[in-house]
Amino acid sequence: MRLGVVVQRYGAEINGGAELHARYIAERLSRHAEVEVFTTCARDYVTWENALPAGVSQVNGITVHRFPVTAPRDVRRFAAMSDLVFTREHSVADELSWLDSEGPTSPALVRAVAAARDRFDWFLFFSYRYYHAYHGVRAAADRAILVPTAERDAAVGLSIFGPIFRGVRALMFNSFEERAMLQHAAGTQRLPGVVVGVGSDVPERTEPGRFRRKYGIDGRFALYVGRIDENKGCAELFEFFRRYARAARNGLQLVLIGKSILPIPDHPQIRHLGFLGDEDKFDAIAAAEVLIMPSYFESLSMVALEAWALGTPVLANGRCDVLKGQCLRSNAGLFYENYPEFAETLHAIATGPMLCEALGRNGRHYFRRHYAWPVIERKYLETFDRLAREPRNATALEPLPGFFARRRRTLPPAADVLARIPSGPVTR
Amino acid sequence: MADFTVRASSVDVEQIMRQIRSRIREKRGVDYTEEQIQELARVKLERFLDPKGVRSDLLERFRQLPADLPPTYDFDDKTLFTSTNPLVRVIRRLLNPFLKLLFSPNALNQVLHRQALINRYLLERAEREALVYEVLHNLVVEVTRSTIEVKNMKMRVESIASRLEFNERRARALEAVVQYRSDAHPDARHDDRRREGREEEASGAVDPITGGESLRTRRRRRRRGRRSGAAFAGGEGGEAAAVDAGSRNTGDNGAEDAPRGADDAAANGSGDDRAASAAPASDDRETSSAEARGQEPDAPAPHSDGRGTADVPPGSSTSES
Repeated sequence: MRLGVVVQRYGAEINGGAELHARYIAERLSRHAEVEVFTTCARDYVTWENALPAGVSQVNGITVHRFPVTAPRDVRRFAAMSDLVFTREHSVADELSWLDSEGPTSPALVRAVAAARDRFDWFLFFSYRYYHAYHGVRAAADRAILVPTAERDAAVGLSIFGPIFRGVRALMFNSFEERAMLQHAAGTQRLPGVVVGVGSDVPERTEPGRFRRKYGIDGRFALYVGRIDENKGCAELFEFFRRYARAARNGLQLVLIGKSILPIPDHPQIRHLGFLGDEDKFDAIAAAEVLIMPSYFESLSMVALEAWALGTPVLANGRCDVLKGQCLRSNAGLFYENYPEFAETLHAIATGPMLCEALGRNGRHYFRRHYAWPVIERKYLETFDRLAREPRNATALEPLPGFFARRRRTLPPAADVLARIPSGPVTR
Repeated sequence: MADFTVRASSVDVEQIMRQIRSRIREKRGVDYTEEQIQELARVKLERFLDPKGVRSDLLERFRQLPADLPPTYDFDDKTLFTSTNPLVRVIRRLLNPFLKLLFSPNALNQVLHRQALINRYLLERAEREALVYEVLHNLVVEVTRSTIEVKNMKMRVESIASRLEFNERRARALEAVVQYRSDAHPDARHDDRRREGREEEASGAVDPITGGESLRTRRRRRRRGRRSGAAFAGGEGGEAAAVDAGSRNTGDNGAEDAPRGADDAAANGSGDDRAASAAPASDDRETSSAEARGQEPDAPAPHSDGRGTADVPPGSSTSES
């Protein structure tokens, strides 16, 4: 079996959620199939500037084909187009312009996928909202499997993505909430849709003591791992934590791991360690009392899964349906929606060793049952088998509207479409 | 206070979250919905809470004319026929009778004159309305501020009342202990042991927050830990602490003779705690909730600030005692 993985960025040093997800899947599936990756030369997800050489290279034993991006993202144009399609009545042509302005615009990549179509049994497209996925799926629809990595943002409400969601052979979701959202948004019920997610290479043994010694951390602490950014809910986390620290004098410290875009508050109980390697990261997670996930929008939090794998409870932002749903389904984490809930839940975890232990145990079990690599690999392989038994033309991609219809500004704002999609966790 | 149902084998996150929310509601006192809280948060509270926010130049503003209002005009019986050119004025005056044959310019003059007066009146009224609105706004601000203050005062009164009640009970309990010591009765030992047994049983229940060992057990352990910690500290201080601990143990024996009258004082404390001295027994009760939260005895609950007032939206309860 030959598999093509198509993703916007790819590389050992690229740690973005969907990109890392794609790399993990490519590397794992390479044990069962011949895997090649099609990607761009971009390294930066904001500008998409060509930073890596075009051509064929190897990353961790996987063949990678890189194609240049024709133009870096014009941030102003992208913002203007986003404003138009998300908040005003617009046309299909406007949405296509928005897609171009978002990038990474790489017609060469799409052409390569179209040319290589017959060489591969399946193409795995990651991240529905980018240029490569939209045009790539159109180029190889009969063997396209989409990993949407969709969050609850307004892009889901754009009309151009409906045919893409309905036109692929299968959808591999990260969560039940994502599946429910796309079923409402695009009517994907009849398509094979598997909730898979992604595993993680969690070490067998961790050394929390080593981490504490190395970074001079005494006492118990809550941990945040990820980009320290307002979009990730970190500003709210800082505000809540400062209030919590004021009230609970001997409460937990807050340790932050990751690149900071937001200024870190100067507080004696907040420590920022910067970006750490995997070993330190896993040791830190194992040493922490709780991992805090303050993000409002997540399609799947890998670090939360890693925490559960290591038996560390998670305290998640309850306004993120995916995280809340995972906490409820796993019984391995608490969640908050406002400051009093944040303080009470953190306090409950900080002072309840049995509660912590029970949550951690559930987390381990949840990870082993749903996110261990053998489980993930099996789900992918079963999907390939199932699709192989179906005729190639099982799904047909809906064509774009004609010249005039495409330019008729009758589509509702995408934000309004999104607002009509039911939200909330799937508790099952 | 709600208990978390945490067993060794299972944990139900949904239930824990329900309990946490009900506990928050209890702490708030006033049960605001999330929407109401959001609405309150959207209000610019500084305008409500800052008395300086009320405009001091209100009178001046009353006297000032707003610049952006459209100008009005004067209109009288000559306005229609006036002109800067004298010759034109004369011709118009000569032809005026002829004009009056065609229509009635006087009626037009009167109407337009009245309209000019009305315009002026409306302009003045518009200016006044803006100022009246300002006054009303400030009044509303003041009333809102006062309402919030009244609510806060109510909560503070409630808090003080509960503390007062607690202190009265504590005083009664202490008095009872003092009375007992003056004429101790050996039979009371059995009662005390029985009571201790009951407490031990009760302490087997799961702690509502920690889901683990009971508050009492942990407190007792901590006290012992402190004593032994001091004893192991070495040096003179350690020895002194050891001696002190020994003397307390002697006190423990004495405390086993505690009478029924001391039940109140010992209600939240184990026998040895109580025996250490009468006063610490009551301190225990005061600190128990704080210790259970893993804080210093004086530390407030997570929602409270240093003064013990709730760190929740206005109108919520502060009672922690």
